[in-house]
Amino acid sequence: MIEIKGVSKRYDRHLYVLKGVNATLKERVTTIIGRNGAGKTTLVRILSTQLFPTSGTAEIEGLDILKDTKKVREVISSIPQESQLIGILSPLEQMQLYLMARGFSSSQAKRESEYALDELEMYEFRNAPSDTLSGGMKRKVFVAMALAAKSPVIFLDEPTTGLDPLSRIEVWSAIKRLSSKVILTTHYMEEAQELSNEVLVIDQGNIITHGTVKSLLSTFDGKMRAEKLEGREFDIKIANVSIKYIDVNEVDEFVRKGYDIKRINLDDIFLSKGVMLES
Amino acid sequence: MNPKFVLYFAWYYGFYVIKRGPSYLLASLSLPLSLLFMVTIFTHGTLIAFAIAGGPIAIVAANSINGAADAAFFRIQIRIQDLYVATSLTSQDYMFALSMSYLVFSLPGIVLYAILGAYFKVFTLSSALPIIGLLILLTLAISNLSFIIAGLLKHIRNVWGITAILSIIMTVLPPTFYPFYYLPRGVIYILSVSPVTPAAVLFQGILFPKAVGMYSSVQLPMFIILIVETLVLIFLGRRFIRWRE
Repeated sequence: MIEIKGVSKRYDRHLYVLKGVNATLKERVTTIIGRNGAGKTTLVRILSTQLFPTSGTAEIEGLDILKDTKKVREVISSIPQESQLIGILSPLEQMQLYLMARGFSSSQAKRESEYALDELEMYEFRNAPSDTLSGGMKRKVFVAMALAAKSPVIFLDEPTTGLDPLSRIEVWSAIKRLSSKVILTTHYMEEAQELSNEVLVIDQGNIITHGTVKSLLSTFDGKMRAEKLEGREFDIKIANVSIKYIDVNEVDEFVRKGYDIKRINLDDIFLSKGVMLES
Repeated sequence: MNPKFVLYFAWYYGFYVIKRGPSYLLASLSLPLSLLFMVTIFTHGTLIAFAIAGGPIAIVAANSINGAADAAFFRIQIRIQDLYVATSLTSQDYMFALSMSYLVFSLPGIVLYAILGAYFKVFTLSSALPIIGLLILLTLAISNLSFIIAGLLKHIRNVWGITAILSIIMTVLPPTFYPFYYLPRGVIYILSVSPVTPAAVLFQGILFPKAVGMYSSVQLPMFIILIVETLVLIFLGRRFIRWRE
């Protein structure tokens, strides 16, 4: 379990990236969703002991991130969003180094690295210098690191950004097979819906909604999403697209008005909460 | 301390850079070998022994100061440092591993100079141990200086320019390729602000005891200066590495 207790982060005198975030993350896979600059990465960096909070703290598996840092680092592994591989070293070498930094023996590190690379269809590239790999392959190596580490808690900051659809499915499948608790950030609602048991929507440093996917979607029970370019009726307008949440019995009427009708998904949680906050 | 990580990192990041990017090795050898050529020509060979003796110091110092670019690149650009922060690794392990990788990367150059030194009878077997000790000390001092520089940088764009300037200033100005006793005593102490100067003075004291002769009184102060500078730089390096921001 992860308990976030009033975590704030201020970079400048007035620039608060996180504003007293409180949450208890109980489910196996929790997804943090938010727009660019919402504070997702800052929250993950604080929880994974890479960044000090300005105030507040958090507990991971009962260990305080400020007081028990060393022990916290033994139970977590964290793959930062912007990390890139060292071009001159191969994926296998870098995975071995990462696992040895976590206390694995060299033979154990090699075995686990090869296994994880194989799981993500990267085995044949294990000895290639990383600067010869595509962007997606490089990202998969980082995911393989997290898989091989087998930590009780894994933080994945945008693990599938830049991956092609097939690679994305491979990563999803690997995450689903994990027994660890996973905290991931993503821009892809489809990914959040596919993987997570729990969703935390964050905007401008505040949590705007938090719950299981089922409970969040239940707020839209009996609703559909109607979309139209420059539609007159709307709850939200993004660029030229008008979005209106309608009852199921209004579907025919809105189809006649030229609206496209879509099923409710996590996009709608994000859109209704996030965009309305801004407007 | 995680010696396993330090050893593997030093080997991987030292040796594989040589194997997969030999141009970096040639680049690191080009300045000391050019200076060896020039010193030999301009002094009609009289200072060749000093220019050979200075080679390993220049290689180790230049490679270690270039570590500022690596440390900044790993922290700011490719965020590898972040990856390691959230592990059991300590900042000292990480810094020591990087420092040792520069020493491994310097090995081919040191071996080349050892061969030259043996051929010109500059190096002897009895001088090997103190010389190796000095090179390790110099690697630690300069690489920690490079971590301080890297920690002060907010952007990556200037790091290669800064390290290129420092690399030349720190290897050419100190008495690396010429006898330290050509300099007034006061200037030696001023130049000893860079650990390369005491290392070079001590190197010459070990290799050319007869030539150094009456100037040998600076050896002990230079040894103390090098030890103190190394300890101070290691302490400051730990503060500036920005392990957990």
